[in-house]
Amino acid sequence: MSAPPNSPAATGAAISSEPNPVREAIAKAIAEHRVILFMKGTPEAPACGFSARTVAALKALDAPFAAVDVLPDPRIRQELSAISSWPTIPQLFVDGELLGGCDIVTEMYESGELAAALR
Amino acid sequence: MPSPEDIRQRIESSIPGARAEVEDYTGGGDHFRATVTAAAFAGRSRIEQHRLVYDIFGAEIGGPIHALSLKTQTP
Repeated sequence: MSAPPNSPAATGAAISSEPNPVREAIAKAIAEHRVILFMKGTPEAPACGFSARTVAALKALDAPFAAVDVLPDPRIRQELSAISSWPTIPQLFVDGELLGGCDIVTEMYESGELAAALR
Repeated sequence: MPSPEDIRQRIESSIPGARAEVEDYTGGGDHFRATVTAAAFAGRSRIEQHRLVYDIFGAEIGGPIHALSLKTQTP
């Protein structure tokens, strides 16, 4: 299937602001939810130990949070890591900022900083 | 797949003055835990400290290094 004659693909023009629906959906979700956890699996059925431990810290504080399962579409993880420049999953965002992954969230939970950040 | 020793050396050679202890904590060769002590961490948030370490390994994290659990601190 050849590209239509005048389309960027045909002319090979570099498309800098190519629409990126996955990245836009992620940015929107981060903006719309004060506390949002990108994880493997779901809070009820985490698919990895690190995601499970992060969910446990949030549940121990009775902190409401939105959750996104990154497993169904590999582009979610790819675009998320491009936004956050953080290579692993899970990733917890609070007020639009990356708080960290499992290590940092559990460390903050133990020190009481997580409860303060979620207040 | 990298060994704990490889990871230790790469951390210590990439972050000036860093001392790293690395262990394979599942025995499976791809889940590692590292404690990294470096003066270079001073004044940086935890997340920036962890990024300094993760950036050394780039795309290996999540690949051959399935997990690199970090504890970072200043001396």
